[in-house]
Amino acid sequence: MSSPVKPTAPAATPATPAAEVAVPTGSEMPRSVSALVLVRDQGIFVLWGVIIVVFSFWCAPYFATLDNALLVANAAAITAIFAAGVGFGVMTGVLDLSLPGTAAFASCLTGWLMTNGQPTWLALLAGFLAGALVGLVNGMIALRGFNPIIVTIGTLSVLSGIAAVIAAGYTFPGLTELEFMGTRRYFGVPAPVYIVALLFLVGTVFLTRTRDGIRLMAVGGNAEAVRRSGIHSDRYRVLGFVISGLCAALGGLVTTAITTEATPAASPAIIFNALTAVALAGVALTGGRGSLPRVLVGALILATIANGLTIRGVEPYWALVVTGVLLLASLVLERVIQSSVSDRLMSTANLSVHKKQV
Amino acid sequence: MSDQTPALELTGIEMHYGYVLALSGIDFHVNAGEVVGLLGDNGAGKSTLLKVMSGAHRPSAGTIKVRGQKVEFHSPSDSTAAGIQMVYQDLALVDPQDISINLNIGREILRKGPLGWLGFVDRKAMRKRSEAELDRLGVRTAPMTRPVEMLSGGQRQTVAIARSAIRVSGETNGVLLLDEPTAALGYEQTKQVEALIRRMAGQGIAIVLVTHNLPLCYEVADRVVILNRGSKVADTVLAGTDPDHIVGWITGARPSQFAA
Repeated sequence: MSSPVKPTAPAATPATPAAEVAVPTGSEMPRSVSALVLVRDQGIFVLWGVIIVVFSFWCAPYFATLDNALLVANAAAITAIFAAGVGFGVMTGVLDLSLPGTAAFASCLTGWLMTNGQPTWLALLAGFLAGALVGLVNGMIALRGFNPIIVTIGTLSVLSGIAAVIAAGYTFPGLTELEFMGTRRYFGVPAPVYIVALLFLVGTVFLTRTRDGIRLMAVGGNAEAVRRSGIHSDRYRVLGFVISGLCAALGGLVTTAITTEATPAASPAIIFNALTAVALAGVALTGGRGSLPRVLVGALILATIANGLTIRGVEPYWALVVTGVLLLASLVLERVIQSSVSDRLMSTANLSVHKKQV
Repeated sequence: MSDQTPALELTGIEMHYGYVLALSGIDFHVNAGEVVGLLGDNGAGKSTLLKVMSGAHRPSAGTIKVRGQKVEFHSPSDSTAAGIQMVYQDLALVDPQDISINLNIGREILRKGPLGWLGFVDRKAMRKRSEAELDRLGVRTAPMTRPVEMLSGGQRQTVAIARSAIRVSGETNGVLLLDEPTAALGYEQTKQVEALIRRMAGQGIAIVLVTHNLPLCYEVADRVVILNRGSKVADTVLAGTDPDHIVGWITGARPSQFAA
């Protein structure tokens, strides 16, 4: 519309008002909403930072040292691995409670193979395959429309039984060949810390950058939507179980490596610690949301609290109390943020199906 | 109008559920660029007919033709492959994901090179493509990176319609089946979805609109087909038709146009 008007003409051409008609686009997110979302998504990192700062003063000079940091990281490793398993499951829409059983099964299988003279790599491979297989079976059963929680409670029982059968009621001690992924340090850092770092790095990249990972998250969010897009959403639900099972196997094998002993005891504490870390990370059990780095920080927070209180000589029970309070507080915060976000969006929301402004 | 091949044509559709005859001898067609309202009271057979078109149900008898080609739908994916997309009332969006992911899922763009072989997606390219596609539809919603759960009802409806519209508006325009697209919307948002429907029709998409909402039909539909107890009782151009007649056909108070 830029007609050849004399350049001296001071008046704006009649073309501009059309373009300046204030059309509500609804495209500006209110700043307060962005801030609230930031708190919801990143708050746990801040919380961890606060805890570290508080302990640094309260437990000076023993807390804020490199050695202690490694200690915390190492202590968090097992919980973090299982939390990754639970987190993967929950984000993709499945709550897999069979993780301790899977871990016991995988480590006993590995222990049995190793005590029977099989090479370490083969035994480890068998352990991981066992984890994947358990996930596959869980997934296939759950796909038949059974409640995944009950299904995985069932497989938990079956697996810990099978593990005990493999171990003939005992354990497999003296698995020192696994030391390389247990107590050994590389450049001063214990092996489990590397394993956890690698696991979460690969997992995060997978879930946020790759096609299958994004679809996996989408299936957790709304399987029907994915199915209607012409994707076999069932395959992705099974994949969620398989990854969860693999994480459980990894957790069991690292535990075995640290203790140099494979035990068929499937401790439910494993799953509750992992669930606490996941819940602390604000990963909704309804699926489809959450992020692995937050889960990792959730596990680290648990370990940090336990560590700090131990340094101060506080009885360890208080760590449980503090963790529980934090968990409940995080729920309240989540609820408050959720409702104030929707209030704010309500007040500014408008649809903008209109001709594109040129 | 009758000289062109209909985008979707159903002839003599019968549908039995056990002993119940849900549809009897339905003839139906929709042309490219046409909006056909499918009206009827509860239980008249609208949803069943829609499910036949979307491939969710196989008719007991009758033929379906897409652009003149006889087809058989064994599942919804068959109708999708034939260029027919259904927008359900429950939208089925992935709430925690952003608009771009919702529009692109199942047709992701992978990155070039080795990362692409590993399945890495190119989010930027997907956003760009979706923006272009929405522009073509004349739709502007929130930024592509906004999670769907943070959209208003109208925006969510728009995203759901756009997701289907994008998939049928390739080189050949397809058929869009809309089930009560404005049921959950307020006045303003309804107006905007109406505008979107007209614009999609203007681009040559054939649209079948199932609704209870007569004003909506008058606003957007070129023609209405009215079902009553499983039979077609009226098939008429809307302009100039008395709303009372339409209501009469819906309730059964008015005799069928096709009474034998």
